[in-house]
Amino acid sequence: MSAGYTERGQGSAAADFLAEHAQVLSIAAFFALCLVFFTVMTDVFLTSGNILNILRQAAPILIVAVAMTFVIITAGIDLSVGSQVALINASAALTLAAGVPWPLVILAMLGLGALIGLGQGWFIAYQGIPAFIVTLAGLSILRGAALYMTQGYSIPIRDVPGFFYLGRGTLFDIPVPALVAVGIAVIGGVVMARTLYGRRVVAVGSNPEAARRVGMPARWTIASVYMLTGLASAVAGLLIAARLGSGSSNAAVGFELQVIAAVVLGGTSLFGGRGTILGTVLGALTIAVIGNGLILMHISPFFTQIVTGAIILIAIWLNTRIFTANFSLRRRG
Amino acid sequence: MAQAAHTDIMAPEGSVPSGKPAAVAPVPRISLRGIRKTFGSVEALRGVDLDIAPGECVGLIGDNAAGKSTLTKIISGTYVPDAGSIAIDGQAVKFASPADARARHIEMVFQDLSLCDHIDVMGNLFLGREETRWSFLNTRSMRVHARAMLDDLDIRIPRLNAKVAQLSGGQRQAIAIARAASFEPRVLIMDEPTSALAVAEVEAVLRLINRVKARGVSVILITHRLQDLFRVCDRIAVMYEGTKVAERQIGETSLEDLVKLIVGKGEEL
Repeated sequence: MSAGYTERGQGSAAADFLAEHAQVLSIAAFFALCLVFFTVMTDVFLTSGNILNILRQAAPILIVAVAMTFVIITAGIDLSVGSQVALINASAALTLAAGVPWPLVILAMLGLGALIGLGQGWFIAYQGIPAFIVTLAGLSILRGAALYMTQGYSIPIRDVPGFFYLGRGTLFDIPVPALVAVGIAVIGGVVMARTLYGRRVVAVGSNPEAARRVGMPARWTIASVYMLTGLASAVAGLLIAARLGSGSSNAAVGFELQVIAAVVLGGTSLFGGRGTILGTVLGALTIAVIGNGLILMHISPFFTQIVTGAIILIAIWLNTRIFTANFSLRRRG
Repeated sequence: MAQAAHTDIMAPEGSVPSGKPAAVAPVPRISLRGIRKTFGSVEALRGVDLDIAPGECVGLIGDNAAGKSTLTKIISGTYVPDAGSIAIDGQAVKFASPADARARHIEMVFQDLSLCDHIDVMGNLFLGREETRWSFLNTRSMRVHARAMLDDLDIRIPRLNAKVAQLSGGQRQAIAIARAASFEPRVLIMDEPTSALAVAEVEAVLRLINRVKARGVSVILITHRLQDLFRVCDRIAVMYEGTKVAERQIGETSLEDLVKLIVGKGEEL
């Protein structure tokens, strides 16, 4: 009598696995392809020196992209991360130049980043202004604040070896920024997949009204993800300042686009609900490897931008196609 | 025929006297008095009274915009009434949010089901009630309980880690009902649970409702499929333009009678 009712939804486990992980599998395959391509085309790409260099340079993007994954999974966006990085970068240099001890500066900058993010999150979650608008305003305001504080000059940081170690040092031959980035990515991945907070983020992005109806703190969850991008931007800003030994209001121009590209390339849906930290890590590394590889091939850096943009467009187009193909396949079965 | 089906449903309840239509009815499970709600210039509800006994299923019917959904959303805490009182087991309550109603064990299955498509079956069953250890999801324990919840209501879903988007309409409906029915609800409200379902799936949902009822849960069922009412309901309340115009015991009414009541010609005829 109810055979039709109970027999639905059964299919091969392998097909389900492929469908569920199509996004991550495709970006992983593309990443591997890039590695092979640049290894064959250049002599120096696959040397430990170059790999560590890529990791060191990719660290800030990777760190912010992990937080941005949370934001985009709630169907939001944070356009202000580049400006936040610049503001923290400049503030850190100014306070260090004023003689404040560096551990204190780090704590203060992390606090400032979290506060800025929470402020934007409040407008988005509690005042109902679209994230695009709030963070677009933030992009302008925060970059302006950084410019105003530094008057457009680069602020040198002198004689704080402890601070410089964060950007330039190595631990077990691995650059410290890369270790920080990997640590944050691992924490982000665990939080997203295994904790109550991660579940709330996905639920709010998937169906905000359902999340509210079952009693989840939907607004706080949305506000809090912008605090995460603020915090991550602060970490990125500090690492960049420590690596370059200076703070500048012109740091991280176009950074937000690279971060968003990394997240979307990693298979996170801009419509919310779907995304993985593993995909984001692969996306960020892919972008870093393409940039690095094209330079090693002596291709004009201007051309690199064109290639990166084109690859993002094609990759996301393919992702969309794969996803919809699986969808119709399932419905037919 | 309708009568026969009705007694058949009542049979498994056996000794639960409260399941019988509210003839004796000591304290109603939920009691609404003079509920009013206005949206701008529209009087959505114009003073509605309704009592429901434990284990009783009341069918709420009426034309579109008669106020059925508004009434259930007030009971489930989504809307706050402008006037009137709600009492649960004789105790006056006020709901400011869905969480308040949920704390009083009032559960609602929404017409849109309120499932998260990107979360698996188990996650949806425990949505908002996740079992955690040190704020980590306790997947192992939830899997055991989710299986028990589904078995308890005789819902067969092969993979608990399937995404809800992959399931059929009936399975999605079953998950939404299981979620509402499994955490010891006292009142279960269902808004159009069978509207989008195929025949076999409707049968499964109706059997689910009877199983929930048999546990002593009060059920409010909104539906446009009048034939379903005779399968599960004890009593029918008819809404018209924001008021309750009639109440019928299921044995004392017929399809034609209900249709007349809905379109507003019942009293004249």
